[in-house]
Amino acid sequence: MERERIIQTQDLSKFYGPHMALENLNLDIKKGATGLLGPNGAGKSTFLKTILGLIQATSGEGTVLGHDIRTEGAAIRARIGYMPEYDALNPDMDAINQVRYSGELLGMNPVVALQRAHASLQYVGLGEQRYREIKSFSTGMKQATKLACAIIHDPELIIADEPSNGLDATAREFMIDTLINTVKQGDRSVLMASHLMDDVERVCDEIVLLHKGKLAAQGRIEDLKAIDREIEIHVWGGASKLEAAMIQRGMRVRREGRVMRIAHESEELTSEILLCASQVGAQIRRMHEYEASLEDLFLVIMENLGYDVKSSEDLFNHPIHARKVDAPGHMGGGAS
Amino acid sequence: MSEDEENLLQPQPQPIVIESQPQPLPPPQPQPIAIEPQPQPQPQPLPPPTPQQVQQVQQVATEDIQMATAETPVTGQARMDTAWGSSEGDEDISEMASIGQTDSGEIFKQNYEPWRGELNPRWMRNWAILRHHILGIFKKGHRPWGVPTRIFLVLVFFASLSDAALTLLSSLIGDAEFHSFWGVNRDNLYGHVLGFFPRNVMYYPIVAALLVGGVISEDRLHGTSALYFSRPINRFDYVGMKYASVAFIQAIIIIFTLFLYYLTEIMAFGRGWAWIVDTFPIFLGALMGGVLLIITYTSIGLALSSVSKGKFFPGIGLLAIILGTKTLAIIVKNLFDREILYLLSPYDCLAHVGQTLVKTQPTYDQYSWTWSLASLIVMNAIALYVLSSRVSSMEVTRE
Repeated sequence: MERERIIQTQDLSKFYGPHMALENLNLDIKKGATGLLGPNGAGKSTFLKTILGLIQATSGEGTVLGHDIRTEGAAIRARIGYMPEYDALNPDMDAINQVRYSGELLGMNPVVALQRAHASLQYVGLGEQRYREIKSFSTGMKQATKLACAIIHDPELIIADEPSNGLDATAREFMIDTLINTVKQGDRSVLMASHLMDDVERVCDEIVLLHKGKLAAQGRIEDLKAIDREIEIHVWGGASKLEAAMIQRGMRVRREGRVMRIAHESEELTSEILLCASQVGAQIRRMHEYEASLEDLFLVIMENLGYDVKSSEDLFNHPIHARKVDAPGHMGGGAS
Repeated sequence: MSEDEENLLQPQPQPIVIESQPQPLPPPQPQPIAIEPQPQPQPQPLPPPTPQQVQQVQQVATEDIQMATAETPVTGQARMDTAWGSSEGDEDISEMASIGQTDSGEIFKQNYEPWRGELNPRWMRNWAILRHHILGIFKKGHRPWGVPTRIFLVLVFFASLSDAALTLLSSLIGDAEFHSFWGVNRDNLYGHVLGFFPRNVMYYPIVAALLVGGVISEDRLHGTSALYFSRPINRFDYVGMKYASVAFIQAIIIIFTLFLYYLTEIMAFGRGWAWIVDTFPIFLGALMGGVLLIITYTSIGLALSSVSKGKFFPGIGLLAIILGTKTLAIIVKNLFDREILYLLSPYDCLAHVGQTLVKTQPTYDQYSWTWSLASLIVMNAIALYVLSSRVSSMEVTRE
């Protein structure tokens, strides 16, 4: 059975003057957990503001939970819960009243909002700390409070912007588990923008990868990983000869010392590898299907777009001028 | 046996311990089950230690401590003994402790609780913003106004009631001359709202500065604007309710006390309809002057608040504009006998228009009151333009 669509866009574009922030974005995000990936300047924030109905798209159209993003922004924001990346809490208020007020801003009755604030804070693990002032909270507790503010009205879609950013291992684990629980037990949808590939992989089934305002990849993580299926072998003796033999037979080989990865393009690949090894007299001491991580997938996609980056961290965490990943020539950038 | 194993079997240097040597535990003696109560031995007081015993203990302790030198190997044995006992570890555990069964429980169980309620419409959201800011003055759990702000508001409220209190006093003592000083008349109604000292030096501008200081700027500072704009609240409602809440608190201090002053005169002196009909237009003039004052101070203050991150710049900026322009205008008038610079002073424009509304003796005679009104309109328009453009640029994703 096909899952319900929660976000859909058609040729969505947004220009700030001559600067293109989103270009012909065609997205189809279904119920469940979806990761929104992309380096700084990819258009994630613009995309979020557009689907929240806070800014008008230059062209194109879209719907969120069935509401038109151009005309029904308030209705969309009433049905979603947004957890911002940056501090969005008054440090002089205690957590319970901050969460209650966020519920009142949605139109909840003050008494009901207070009841829900208790339940939400309990859910995010702050039941015992709810009467403490927010300025005494750790980063993890502040993140949890923001999540409580987002889920107070039990929204159908939770947009979490970098939910695990700046958290220590324990807090990060709890945040990720909470989001997973919200999806699995609560049957809610989560759109999670994050730079941490591991977190996205744990929470989400699908990803949307934006780059320079364009859609670089979209789909189920497992399906996208299948694009990059490889057989990994560990060779002892005659590695270079084996590599040459495999390339001669038309295999795509990537080699790092004695470890080689061969693109899994045919069902007889393992037999062919063993045949090559026997011909050149090389020992294959280990052979297994290589499971690509989301990080690998990201790098492959970026490589396909023409960028030479070592890791997602390399791309995400450095300022734009230091990344040297300008768009390639055919995409209108300055890179050759 | 290897050399390493032989080394392990060598006697290790013993740590320095003051306690006695470990003794093997005595075997458990079978105890008869005593049903009858056994006679309890009476506790005997211990004999005091003899001087010899004390001396022996002190000597042993001193010698042991002196043995601990820098060369003494640190083995951790003493700590192990302290934690785990000093025997060889062959005790029969069943004699020392019993293992009980305890129920294992879950301290925290994460349950997602759905909510099936309905959200109220726009007016309820706006009411929430208004309520949050106004109730914050009086009780915890709403907007956290600073304690100095709250104290000052209370002080100014009671200070603003001074003319009402003195009117009441004059009715009690029955002194007509005293009443002519403090009772309701044209000059006193004007003075309640637009008198320069102390009301427009010490009271109202400072009240406005304290209120507008952080109302918008702290949303920028703390990022709480995201909390508003990720909800179904538009910019107009956001700024409108902030404006209304600040204006409402000022209105309690300025307009409500003016009303109480007028009411006190009526009640204390038993004024009839004729007097009310005579004085009500004057009262309305003063009330309109107060409304203009609140609007002007709030507009300028919120505009300053919207361009900053923090509450000090808007507060100080508002005071500087109100009192600074007034001071500059006085200096220019005294030096050059030209009043035109009063048009740049919000207070003077308000006072000029107020004098016309209440019809008191005018103190600005070099230009028409319509210039002051036009100047006020321009000031408010500029302030509201700055306010709206800055609030429009407030972000939900990042500031």
